[in-house]
Amino acid sequence: MNMYAYIFRRLLYVIPVLLGVCLVIFVLFNLVAPDPAFTLLGKHATQLQIAELHHELGMDRPYWVQYFDTVKTAFTFDFGYSWTSKQNIWEMIKAGAGPSLSITGPLFVIENIFAISLALLVAFYRGKLVDKIVLVLSIAGMSIPSLAVVLFGQWFFGYKLGIFEISGYERGFPQFVPYVILPIILYVFISFGGETRFYRTVILDEAYQDYVRTARSKGISELRVMFKHVLKNSMIPILTQIIIQIPTLILGLLFAESFFSIPGLGAMTINAINNSDFPVIKAMTILSAVGFILFGVVTDVLYTVVDPRMKLK
Amino acid sequence: MKMPNVLLIILSATFLVFAGCTKKQDSNERVLNLVSPAEIKGFDPIQADDLYSGREISKIYEGLLQYHWLKMPYELVPNLAAALPVISKDGITYTFKLRSGVKFQDDAAFAGGKGREVEANDFVYSIKRLADSRNQATGWWVLDGKLKGLNEWREKNSKLPATNYDEEVEGVKALDKYTLQFKLAKAFPQFLYALAMPFTYAVSKEVVAKYGKEFINHPIGTGPYILPIFDQGKKITYTKNPTFREKLYPSDASPEFKNLLSDAGKRLPLVEKIVVHVMKETQPAWLKLNKGEIDYYSVPKDNFATAIKNNKLSDELAKKGFILEIAPQLDVTYTAFNFENKLFHNKKLRQAMYLAYDEPKANELFYNNTAFPAQSIIAPGIAGVDKNYVNPFKGPKLTEAKKLLAEAGYPDGKGLPELKYDIPDSTVSRQMGEYFQKQMEQIGVKIKIISSPWPEFQAKVKKKAVEVYGLAWGADYPDAENFLQLFYGPNKSPGANGSNYDNPQFNKEFEAATQMQDSPERTARYEKLNKFLAEEVVALFGVHRQAYILEQGWLKNYHPTDLHHDAVQYLNIDTQKKAELLKNF
Repeated sequence: MNMYAYIFRRLLYVIPVLLGVCLVIFVLFNLVAPDPAFTLLGKHATQLQIAELHHELGMDRPYWVQYFDTVKTAFTFDFGYSWTSKQNIWEMIKAGAGPSLSITGPLFVIENIFAISLALLVAFYRGKLVDKIVLVLSIAGMSIPSLAVVLFGQWFFGYKLGIFEISGYERGFPQFVPYVILPIILYVFISFGGETRFYRTVILDEAYQDYVRTARSKGISELRVMFKHVLKNSMIPILTQIIIQIPTLILGLLFAESFFSIPGLGAMTINAINNSDFPVIKAMTILSAVGFILFGVVTDVLYTVVDPRMKLK
Repeated sequence: MKMPNVLLIILSATFLVFAGCTKKQDSNERVLNLVSPAEIKGFDPIQADDLYSGREISKIYEGLLQYHWLKMPYELVPNLAAALPVISKDGITYTFKLRSGVKFQDDAAFAGGKGREVEANDFVYSIKRLADSRNQATGWWVLDGKLKGLNEWREKNSKLPATNYDEEVEGVKALDKYTLQFKLAKAFPQFLYALAMPFTYAVSKEVVAKYGKEFINHPIGTGPYILPIFDQGKKITYTKNPTFREKLYPSDASPEFKNLLSDAGKRLPLVEKIVVHVMKETQPAWLKLNKGEIDYYSVPKDNFATAIKNNKLSDELAKKGFILEIAPQLDVTYTAFNFENKLFHNKKLRQAMYLAYDEPKANELFYNNTAFPAQSIIAPGIAGVDKNYVNPFKGPKLTEAKKLLAEAGYPDGKGLPELKYDIPDSTVSRQMGEYFQKQMEQIGVKIKIISSPWPEFQAKVKKKAVEVYGLAWGADYPDAENFLQLFYGPNKSPGANGSNYDNPQFNKEFEAATQMQDSPERTARYEKLNKFLAEEVVALFGVHRQAYILEQGWLKNYHPTDLHHDAVQYLNIDTQKKAELLKNF
């Protein structure tokens, strides 16, 4: 019962968080962002046209009315239409979610499995050659600018070897597969360094605990010690790290989508920012905020599963 | 087996499994693969204010006029019009006869799903739609104040709960099913160019009504290609319009295009399918071109040195059969002053700054020495440019610059406040800004660079919140008026005159010249106005750029162009040659 009450209480946090998010995006849009009229009306806009457009978009209404509209949008999820493409924003999200998830989904799974496995491996062989090699590769992965990795990857694997598509996308399975392999491989390389280093630290922290020494002294095999004891007890920070990534999956890969011409939500968000397309920016910000809150709750609940000593109050 | 070996095997296996995941090119397919370097805003002709949207829209929609594909200088010829219009002696009334039997593409919006015939009323509707303030058309400027009664209709209807499209407007009338009449508010010969621009293409009332706000994504025109739905994706695939009228490849050409006549008399369009890849980044597009997956693409700045030497292709590219096309663009780059700031009313200050600027060096640094130095605002190739004219204030002439700066009241820049130089926040713009800063430093003019994202930069110009800024202007149509209007007082910000230059004498002479029909007298007036702006140094005129396009050896009939939005219908693929050349890739 306690758990349900906790979940309910945490979900109630959505209200103040969303109000805050609305306030921040509203203030940013009205005070910092450029007037969308100049982008929407083109190079020959007149003062009269600008005024007409402000009226059409409701930008000439009092600020409190516009803020109330933003709040209403956040709680009803009725995001309306994009100012630039005139498309229904939910339709745009539906169209962009597939391409984004077709990259971020596999990337998320591969990257985490790869990083955790590698972290276990290097923790197992800590201080040995494998550990040092992975350390060097991790630092290389973290230090080389992602743009350089992408450019090299496109040139080498896409152009020189010709084994992957350089860029582009086709909707539907399995048509999209040839287009997502290269970005996934490159982004595993870009992100594995940081992830592996993090998981290695977490696992090593646990590997030096007294109970691990006790387990070893009982003659339990090293593999069993690593998987049964160390990995299980490292799960709380690992889970936090993994679950917190989930809401970002829907946002897509902001930078990569443009470079690989993937029609995903990342590219859509970047375009919206470039065009001051407030309804789209608003939709993506609100969805991300809600996603972070929900997955925060999921993380808390999973803590109790992996560590029965934890109680939700 | 040791762990590192296991890893190596897993990695190799992964590569082997995925290797070969690329799509093989089919050289027998008559498909054009093109690149759009910018997002397409949608398929509503009245919103087609950028080159790339205009090009996509022109695959689906058509207008009354078009530019002859094989003639330079640009020449207007009929498209949906049966012939060029009959123009009244006073230059006010334009009467068009429409081609009969032209049909809109099939769509559920029409009775029985079959596209109906285009009538004069469709143009009346399309023009009113462009004028309707509720549509916030980016193309309204082409007709703003041009047609009798249209501005009044717009104004009146903006105050009504709904726009009344049935109300007659004197300036645009359907005299019968195939006769369309325009009446201008005052003579404006450039009006004909407006009828070749995407803004005035024919749309159908039924389709607009059926799709409402989503009309922008449901293009149904009369053009050579169809696109059932635009999903705002990164790949746009068009197929041949099965109901396209009998339109033939031209049989006459200017001397420079005589070699493009091998398809003369053939029915258009020449290829079955077009795939447009929206690719904002140059590097992947360049690689795709080099892999034979794209039919033409402009040489990116960063690849220029390796691809082109002495205006010739590198051996590697030549072996692959690429053809290099070099064509001057109808544009100009310039550094503008905001004349709302009284500081810039000091002509000697402007002249001194221009004299200090080393344009040839800038051409070398930023355009690989491929651009033409601009003496004034009008691009070469347009009537109004005196080919022999050299702007006396074009630098670098440091001694003269320093002298003029002293005469302007700022010896060695003393007493002159630091000038803010606004640029869009791209790497190249920043490099250009830093170069400008360095050039001005030589005479003691201090420059502070302010970079902003493009929309913000644009907004600052429109709000007159800039001092000095760098910009480029591409022609909307091939008439000097389109360049000179950049300094016409009534066009001040937020209009196209972002310099806010307002000189009554220039305004008067501009108005007189632009009302004249094309004639040697008008050209002389344009030349005079062009020189006036040059010597007034209303801006620091930079260069007129050239397009360097790499074309696949199998592509037929292509030539680079600024204004032929509808070019793709003339392009063809030599499938046999493609199969041969692809062996070299």
